[in-house]
Amino acid sequence: MTGSLTGPGQATAASPVSELERLLGDATVPGNAVGNATILAADERCETLAEGERLLGRSGFNAHWVPAELGGRFHRLDGLIEVIRTVYRRDPALGLGYGAGSFIAAVNVWAAGSPRQRADLATLLLRGGRAACSYRALAGGDGRGGTSLVAFPTPGGRGRLLTGRAEWIVNPRHADALVLFARTDSAPGERSHSQLLVHRSFLLGAHARHLGRARLAGMRGVGFGGVEFAACPIPDSAVVGVLGGGTETALRSSALARIALTGMTCGLLDTALRTALRCLAGRRLYGGTAADLPLTRTVLAEAFADLILADAFTVVAARAVHTAPARALTYAAAVKALVPRVLIDALDRLSGLLGSQFYLRTGRYAIFQKLLRDALSSASEPAPRTTSLADLLPQLPLAARGGWSQPDAEPLAEQTFRLGADLPGLRYDALSAAASGDDPLARSLAADADRLRPDSDDRLEHAVASRARACLQELARLAADCSALPTPYLAPTAPAHVFDLAERWTGVLATAACLGLWRCNGGEGDEFIGDPVWPLAALHRLDAHLGRHHDPLPEELAARLHTELTRREEAGLTFDLACHPTSA
Amino acid sequence: MTALASGRPSTGAAAANESSLPGRVAATIAAAKAAPIAAASAAPFGTGLIADGADAPFSPVRRATLDTRDAFPDAECAVLDASGVAAAYVPAALGGADGGLPLLVDTLRTVSGEDLTVAVAHVKTFLGGVSVWVSGHPDQQQHLAKLILDGAVVSWGLTERERGSDLLSGQLSATPNPGGGWRLDGEKWLINNATRARLICVLARTSPAGGPRGFSVFLVDKHSLSPGTWRCLPAEPTHGIRGADISGIAFAGAEVAADALIGPVGSGIETVLLGLQLTRIACVSLSLGAGDHALRLALELAGHLELHGTPQLRLPHVRRALGRAGASLALAETAATMAARCAHALPGEASVVSSIAKACVPILIQEMIAELADILGASAFRTDGPDHGAFEKLERDHRIVPIFDGSTPVCRNALFNQFPTLVDAHRAGRVADAGLSIAADPAAPLPDLDTAALSLVSRTGCSVVQALPGAVQRLAARAGTHGGAAARMLGLAQRLSSLTDEVTTRMAGIRPSARSVPAEAFALARRYELCFAGAAAIHRWLAQPTASTGGLRLEAALGRAIQLLDPGQAEPADVLAADLLTAPVAAGAGAR
Repeated sequence: MTGSLTGPGQATAASPVSELERLLGDATVPGNAVGNATILAADERCETLAEGERLLGRSGFNAHWVPAELGGRFHRLDGLIEVIRTVYRRDPALGLGYGAGSFIAAVNVWAAGSPRQRADLATLLLRGGRAACSYRALAGGDGRGGTSLVAFPTPGGRGRLLTGRAEWIVNPRHADALVLFARTDSAPGERSHSQLLVHRSFLLGAHARHLGRARLAGMRGVGFGGVEFAACPIPDSAVVGVLGGGTETALRSSALARIALTGMTCGLLDTALRTALRCLAGRRLYGGTAADLPLTRTVLAEAFADLILADAFTVVAARAVHTAPARALTYAAAVKALVPRVLIDALDRLSGLLGSQFYLRTGRYAIFQKLLRDALSSASEPAPRTTSLADLLPQLPLAARGGWSQPDAEPLAEQTFRLGADLPGLRYDALSAAASGDDPLARSLAADADRLRPDSDDRLEHAVASRARACLQELARLAADCSALPTPYLAPTAPAHVFDLAERWTGVLATAACLGLWRCNGGEGDEFIGDPVWPLAALHRLDAHLGRHHDPLPEELAARLHTELTRREEAGLTFDLACHPTSA
Repeated sequence: MTALASGRPSTGAAAANESSLPGRVAATIAAAKAAPIAAASAAPFGTGLIADGADAPFSPVRRATLDTRDAFPDAECAVLDASGVAAAYVPAALGGADGGLPLLVDTLRTVSGEDLTVAVAHVKTFLGGVSVWVSGHPDQQQHLAKLILDGAVVSWGLTERERGSDLLSGQLSATPNPGGGWRLDGEKWLINNATRARLICVLARTSPAGGPRGFSVFLVDKHSLSPGTWRCLPAEPTHGIRGADISGIAFAGAEVAADALIGPVGSGIETVLLGLQLTRIACVSLSLGAGDHALRLALELAGHLELHGTPQLRLPHVRRALGRAGASLALAETAATMAARCAHALPGEASVVSSIAKACVPILIQEMIAELADILGASAFRTDGPDHGAFEKLERDHRIVPIFDGSTPVCRNALFNQFPTLVDAHRAGRVADAGLSIAADPAAPLPDLDTAALSLVSRTGCSVVQALPGAVQRLAARAGTHGGAAARMLGLAQRLSSLTDEVTTRMAGIRPSARSVPAEAFALARRYELCFAGAAAIHRWLAQPTASTGGLRLEAALGRAIQLLDPGQAEPADVLAADLLTAPVAAGAGAR
C-alpha cells in the first residue's frame, strides 16, 4: 500500500497527494469542473461541489480513512491529514463535507467497534459510502448546537428506543451510517453514554426526521444538519463496542478529530497565501509592483511563517498520537486552542494587504474571500476555542509537579519528529482520557537545547539554540505558576488568568514541535527544512499570537522567507513543510 | 442599556438627546422599525420585495434578506432621508446642521449601529460633496448644498481598475473644449453609488503628463450629460456591504460645462487630499457604530450559550474578553471624538489626525469583533441564528472600513511621511494650547470648520500627543489633592508618556523614504496612533475630572491603549472594565 508518505520535498509521482493534485487539475483554468470558478459558483448557491464529490468517489478517496488492516489506506494520522489537506487546498467545504466528515465519524467505530462493526463499516466506506456523526460537547440553553439523545432499553428488554435531537452533523442527508452519541443509562456517571451506529434506513421511518440545515457564512457547500428521533427502535447491535463506553470513545475520537481537522485547514491558508502572492505580483503601484514594497514582503513572509507554525504543531501532534498516545487528548486540545487563531490571523493580515481586491466576489482572486469565510466558520467546533483551553486546565498542576519538573522524564521518541518516517500503529485503547503529569513533547526541549548544532558557526543556528533554552526557562516558570493551583481553578469557571497559563503551555508545546522538527530533519544539503530561518520566524510569530509583542518579522528573516515563498509559488509547490507539487 | 455600554458621550455642542440630529435619527429609525413598509418601492433601486408586515425597515429579518440577495436597502435610505441626516453632510454656513464633524460622527454612529450597509450607502453623499466644500466657489457650494438638502445622492469617483489607491496613475481624462467646458473620457471603478447617484465628483487627469498638479476635480451632473456619452458599469458583488451599489461609471466624450470644474485646474490632487482629511475622520463613525452593535449582539448571543453547565456570560474569562472589547470601543470612540473636534479646533493638524484616526479606529474595532467572535464560537457565523445572522453580516461589512477611503497601510504611510515633524515637535514640546483645550472639552463651543486652514502637512505636528507631558503634570497636581481616580489616571498617564517617548525616539531613527518604507515604520505608526488615542483619553478626562461614569470609561480606554502598546503589562482597568461594561448590559441583553 502506498500509504506511507515520504519526507519533505520528496513527493513521488505515485504518492496519494500527487495523485489527488493531478485529478484536481489546475484550479485557475476556467473550464476545470473542480476549479476556482466552479467552486465559487457552488459557494454562491450554498451547494456542495457535486463534481468534486464524484471525482473523489471515483478515485477511491474513501480508502484513506479506512484502516489498512481493514483494507483501506489509513495507518498514520499525519498521512491522512496530508491527503485531505490536498482537498482543503482546493475547497475546504469539499474536504470537510466529503472527507473529514466521514473520518471523524468512522474513527469512533475504529476505536471501539466490534470486529463485525469495523468490518461492515469498512466495506460500506470502501464501496463509496459515507458516514456522519453528532457533535458531543456543546449544550445550548435553548437546545442549540447540542446533542440530547437518549436510548434506553425497550420495556420488552430487546433493543432500545432512540429519542431526542442531534445537531451539527456534517451532511447527515448523505450519510449511509450515522454515529450518534446517546445516553444509554439514566444513572449519572462516566459509563452512562454510548455511541450508536445507525444505518440510513432508520432515518426513513416515522420515528425520525431530518432537521433543517444550519447555515454559516462560510463552508456553504457543507450541509450542516441534524436529526430528531421519537422512540425510534434500534437493535442492541447498534451499540458501538461495549455499552457505556461512549464518553471514553468520544474523547478518544475527538482527540484525533481535533488534530486532523486543524491540520487539514492549513491547506486553506496555503491557497489563500498563493492567491495573495499572485494578486500582489500583478498589481502595479507607485511605479513598481505591490510585491516590491517592504511591507508587502514582510506580511507575506509572516503569513508563510504562520502556516509553517501551524503545520509544525499539527504534524508533530498527529505523529505523537502514535508515539505517545496517552498524551493525545492533551496535545489535541493544545493544537485546537492555538492553531485556528494563527490561521485566521494570517488570513486577516493578508486581506489587509489585498485591500479592495480581497473584497470582490468575482475576478481572479475571488477565491480568497471564500477561503476567509470558510476558515472563520470552521475555527470553532462549534464550541468556542476557549473550550479547548478549558480542557487543559485540570492538567496544569499535574504537569507542573510531574513532567515539567523532572529533567529525566522521557522525551518524545525522535522518530516522531522525522517527517515521513514510519510510526508504530495507532493504538486507540492507549488514547487515555486520564490526566497524568507526563509531557514528553515539552521534555524534548531539553534535547533541543543540548544538541542543537553546537559546532555551528551560524549565528542563526545559535539563535535557535537560545530559543530552546529560553523555552525551558519558561517551562520552569510555568511549573512554578501552576503547581499550587487549587481545584476550583481547574474548571471552566476559573479566573481568566488561569486560562493564560494554559495558553502559555500551548506556546511551549508549539515551540517544542518547531524545534524538534528542525533538529531532526534536514541537516544536509540546502533544504529549507534544515534552515534555521523557519523556526526563528515561526517562533517570532508564535510570540505575536500569544500577545507578547506586535513587532514585524525582522528584516533578515522576512527577506529569506519571501525569497523561498516566491520560489515555491513559481515552482508550483505547497508552502507547508512537506513542500509538494500542487495545482492550486 | 446603560450609557456606558452604548458609549455615547456627547462630542460636540449638541448633546445626544431627542432634539439633536442623532437623537432624531435614532427616533425615526425606531419608529420605522415599528411600522411595516407601506408599499413596495418603485424607485430604480427598489428591491422588488413585496411589502410584508414583518419586514419593517431596519428589522433584523429584512436586513438579512437584503444582504442575502445583494439588494439595496432602499426603504432604509428613505427613512434616513426623512430623518434629515443629509443636513450633517452640508456645512452649517450653507444651511446644514450646526455641529460639524462631531455631529456627523455621532449621527452616522447611530445609523451604522443599526446596519453598516445602510450607513455606507448613505454617507457617500458627504464624500461626494466634500471636494466642493474644500475648493468650490460659493455658487457651486450653494448649488450643491441645496441639492443635497433636497435629497440628491452624490458620489465620489477617485479609483480606477488596476490602480487601487494610486491616484496619480489615474487615466480618466478631462480635455478642455475650445468653446469652453470639458470633455471626459475614461472610467472610474469600484465606486460606491456610482450608479445610484445623480451627481458624481470625479478626479480627472487634466495634464497628460500627470503629476501632483496634473489633475482636477469635476462635479458631474448626470442630468446634464448627453445620452450615449456615458454609462454606468455593472455592480460588483462584494464580500460585505453586499447591498451597497459598488459599481462604476464610464465616460466617452462626455461634455461638461466650465463650471463643473471645482477649484483651479491642476488643484485636483490637493483638493482630494484635503477632502480625505475630513472624510477619513467622518468614516470612523462607521466603526464606532459597528462596535456598539457587535457588543450588543455578542452579549445577546452569549446569553443563549451554556458551556459545561454554566451560562457563558458568568465565566470569568468570557467576562474579561467582553471587558476588553468594551475598553477597545471606549478607546476607539475617544480617538474618534478627539479627531473630529481637532478638525475644527486644530485644522492645521488635520492631516496627521485624520491619518491616525482612519488607521487606528477601524483596526481597533476589527480586532474587537474578532475577539468577540472568538468567545462565541460557531454561533458568531451562523446566518440563521437568533440574531438572524446580524453578527456575521457585521463582521463582513466592517472589513471594508479599514480598506476604503485610505486603507490602513496608506494612512500609516502618510503618517510616516510626517515622522520628522512629529518627532521634532514632540521634542520641542510644542502645543497649540488654545486649540487643544477646545478639542479636549466636549462642553467647549467648537469653531466652524475652516477648510481654508486645512493643510497637506501639519506644521505643528500633533498637539494631542505633544501635550502629554503637560497633562501628566496637571494630573500629578490633581492627584495630590484629590487622590482616587486622579491617582489612578496619573499612574497610567505616566506609563503612556514614557511609552510615547520611546515611540518618538524610534521614529527618529527611521530614515524618510519615498518608495521603500520599511515594515517597522508601519508598526511605529500603529504605536503612535495608540499614543494619540491614550493621550486623547487623558486630555478628555482632565477637561471633566469629576464626571464619574464617563471618567471610568476613559480610564478603561487609557488602560487598553497601554495594554496594546505594552502587552506584558498588568491591566489595572481590566476588572473595572469587565464589571462596568458588561454587568448592566447583561441584565438588559435581549431587550433590543
